[in-house]
Amino acid sequence: MKKYLKAASKSFQKQAAYKVEYFVGLLNGLLFIFIFTSLWKAIYARSAPETLKGPFDLESMVTYAVLAMIIKISFSMDDNATSFKMRTGALVMDLIKPVSYYFFYLAESVGYSLFHVFSRGIPLLAFSVLAFHVRFPTEPLNYLLLVLSGTMAYSIFFNINYMAGLLSFWFIETFSFQLMKYGLFTLFAGGILPVDFFPDSIRPLVSLLPFPHIFYTPTAVFMGHSPPGGARLAMLAQFCWAAVLSVLSWLAWKAAMKKLVVQGG
Amino acid sequence: MPEEAIKITNLKKDFRINESHPGFLGSVRNLFSRKHKIKHALDGISLEIKKGDFVGYVGENGAGKSTTIKILTGILVPTSGEARVNGLVPHENRIKNAKRIGVVFGQRTQLWWDLPVRESFDLLQAIYEAPEPAFQRNLEYLGEVLGLKDLLSVPVRKLSLGQRMRCDIAASLLHEPEILFLDEPTIGLDLLAKDSIRKFLKKINAEKQTTILLTTHDMEDIDYLCERIVILDEGKIIFDGLRDDLKRYYGRTRVVEVEFREENPPLRFENGVQIVREENRKKWISFDREKHNASEVITYIVNHAPVKDIFLHEPRVADIVKTIYEKVS
Repeated sequence: MKKYLKAASKSFQKQAAYKVEYFVGLLNGLLFIFIFTSLWKAIYARSAPETLKGPFDLESMVTYAVLAMIIKISFSMDDNATSFKMRTGALVMDLIKPVSYYFFYLAESVGYSLFHVFSRGIPLLAFSVLAFHVRFPTEPLNYLLLVLSGTMAYSIFFNINYMAGLLSFWFIETFSFQLMKYGLFTLFAGGILPVDFFPDSIRPLVSLLPFPHIFYTPTAVFMGHSPPGGARLAMLAQFCWAAVLSVLSWLAWKAAMKKLVVQGG
Repeated sequence: MPEEAIKITNLKKDFRINESHPGFLGSVRNLFSRKHKIKHALDGISLEIKKGDFVGYVGENGAGKSTTIKILTGILVPTSGEARVNGLVPHENRIKNAKRIGVVFGQRTQLWWDLPVRESFDLLQAIYEAPEPAFQRNLEYLGEVLGLKDLLSVPVRKLSLGQRMRCDIAASLLHEPEILFLDEPTIGLDLLAKDSIRKFLKKINAEKQTTILLTTHDMEDIDYLCERIVILDEGKIIFDGLRDDLKRYYGRTRVVEVEFREENPPLRFENGVQIVREENRKKWISFDREKHNASEVITYIVNHAPVKDIFLHEPRVADIVKTIYEKVS
């Protein structure tokens, strides 16, 4: 266990080494928050009054946009690591070490993300509170729910990225798969568009996917906004997806190791 | 506790290689159908290495050296046969096996590019679960012998190749492995760096009884370091024995290097004595040690032509290996 904690802390340190990258990243975050809050304000200002009776009023919509974007920025990992190592043959150097590839990668990703939580997430949140009308929950329970739901969300996020990376064991070039993954994340994960806004006919289907549980569910339960089917059901579904995807990751690794023919060297 | 550090029995590894159809139309066909070819990377090798041995593992590119190391480290699964390292089957116990071995792949690094060397070592200590006092002792020792003092605070990406290699070798030994696998540890290094690494490896093998399997293209590494040599060709072992025996059996040819005072000395050689290389007034004359002795050859030369300078060369492992390969193919 200690080795994985250490891996997380070194990964955190590694991020701190690049100062310029950090400030540019922070600026990007500000820009994106500004774009989306402005977009929602413009949409709400020009919409017919009956639209405003929808699931979010303007203030909670802005709150959603800010929080979802901050969770999205905080959830970060090097999702190209496996395919890069596979292509260059550097994967060998991980496999000669007495560590589980999955947990070591997870630890490094958690370290990476925690750095982003503290260095980007929290400053951006502080800025947003000052700049926009962000409505914070007052119940301590909501903060507890954020941590719980956020943890499960991260597990789903990591496992999907992990398995997408393992595809490089079968296909050397995985760029198209990555593009598809980004497309699914953008459309369904809730970083930009809450699930509530999907038409009635496909909303139940979207809710069945693992993607909305990545950014939408933690943002919604934190805000006290009820996701389709209620917060309890959403978090239960989140838990099931996290468990199923973890098992699938384990099976995928087993299959990948069988397939392994390390490139080069 | 088995006495053999490594025991390989009739090990085979086949790779399936995709063959592409040639040309533009071929590349379209490749999308739908592929031809396959089976390559026998290892074709039934058997090998036993005792604790404390320093073995040179020699072979041309694609002979199967790296494949062997990857099987012994548990990265590749053999097609058939068995490999045991410290009594363990590596691919079934990858993590357990990894704790007891050290590996250096000369072309790669096991350190973290963005971290200073010291932080990389610190992480390795946690990964190998090395106890603090032993780890600190090793770090001090390796730092001293490999001259790492000034490098510890430098990020790995800023090290020169020679510096990085010294750090990588230290990294592979911090957890006191019983066996060390070295794959081309001196590749691309200058003479000074090569020399310091060779001296260090000799020292660690003698002092700590670390079993070392060294793969290299640099025959001088082998000549200086390895008492035992295993030569591999197309997945088969074609020689396994002591370096001195190799020289004795295969190194029957000796070479005298002579610098004459004139361009074309009136010399006639026969009966296996011949000029193998010429360079202005210098000539390299080879003879069979079994048929002639050196003084006989030298006396003949000196009596028949004015000589400026003369050297007698020991057989080099590189030349011997070359002759063995020529005989096999």
